[in-house]
Amino acid sequence: MFALLKRDLYLALYSSSSFFYTSSFFILILIILPFLFGTNDVQLQVLFKGIIWIGLSLSILLTMERIFNADYEDGNLDVIIQRYPSLETIIISKYITHWVVYCLPLFIILPILSFLFYVSLDNFFLIFLNLFFGSLGMVFIVTFVSALTLGAKRTIFLKAIIVIPLFIPFLIFGTNLGSWPILLALSMMSFVLSMYVSAYGLRLYVE
Amino acid sequence: MNELKIKDLTCYRGDNLVLKDLNTKLKSGDSLVIRGSNGSGKTTLLRVLSNFIKLYNGKILFNDHNVLEDANYRNCFNFVGQKNCLKDNLSVKNNLKLWEIIYQKNISYSKLLEDFNISHLMERDVASLSDGQKKCISLLRLNFTESKIWYLDEPFVFLDEANSQILIQKIKNFNTNNGIVIITSNINLQNTFTNEIKI
Repeated sequence: MFALLKRDLYLALYSSSSFFYTSSFFILILIILPFLFGTNDVQLQVLFKGIIWIGLSLSILLTMERIFNADYEDGNLDVIIQRYPSLETIIISKYITHWVVYCLPLFIILPILSFLFYVSLDNFFLIFLNLFFGSLGMVFIVTFVSALTLGAKRTIFLKAIIVIPLFIPFLIFGTNLGSWPILLALSMMSFVLSMYVSAYGLRLYVE
Repeated sequence: MNELKIKDLTCYRGDNLVLKDLNTKLKSGDSLVIRGSNGSGKTTLLRVLSNFIKLYNGKILFNDHNVLEDANYRNCFNFVGQKNCLKDNLSVKNNLKLWEIIYQKNISYSKLLEDFNISHLMERDVASLSDGQKKCISLLRLNFTESKIWYLDEPFVFLDEANSQILIQKIKNFNTNNGIVIITSNINLQNTFTNEIKI
């Protein structure tokens, strides 16, 4: 599994723009807010709690094509499945890589953004926890949708229609500070569902 | 001495009967060319032999072990399909590095590229290469494993005369070292490989 993980991380490193694009996208979404709603600090604090979830959802959603589809289209998925017959290993490696490449950069810039939006330290800690546990569950969800729709080209809107309703519970509890245990539970449920469905999707592709 | 036996192989894709009662036997040093028109099931046959497709009737035996039950079989063959397994946005060198990690084998890149006389492409982005050059690089995956069987799906497509000869020589060398090769093709290779079946 570590070889596969190393390969996926190297791939992300070689296409290093991935890190940069995700963080830039996230920052830009947050930057446009004060232009739209003014710079009142109380208002910004309220908006911040919600808008970071929209930023996170979009970052994960727009990059879901890269989980399995890139390897499927260039044929690398065949090689990976031949070398690593345990589909679970492949799926877990994809979870980790996708989270590290597309979610971790957001957590790195989160303290700076919180400071800019006048978020207090206590609230920052709770937002961070919510976002951390929520992002895991959201990565599990996009992974299984990506595996299920493998081979279907130019279907980002179809995938979005499937994924966004599944994100709703995360968004509802995510904006409520202190509900990280519920987000953790949701993520654990998503993990179980995602493992089965992703393995089913990959098996369908192989056969 | 290795032996690959295909017994009464029948395979459906959806409702379509793609392979029907296929029987053949290959020993170490043998090559087999599978010919057929487009859509006749050549690629399906290679995917069945590579254990990607597991739903079929009949048996495939490698050294008398059913390949579906033999966990070591996946290390015994190398499948090079029609897709190149190359990331277009990366250089040739970085693509080789990714294969090195997947196959867990360290290999000298410059020596590897010399096989098809393409050492000068090392730093080039794959997106800037021709289809023939991509095919040559794709075929270099054969050097990453110590396999006993090669499954090559349309390996001569896009290759020029010189590179086709290099590939033929590689296949013959592999045969000499007791390797078994199965090639699908819709061009006539009978002057080069005598063993041929049509599906």
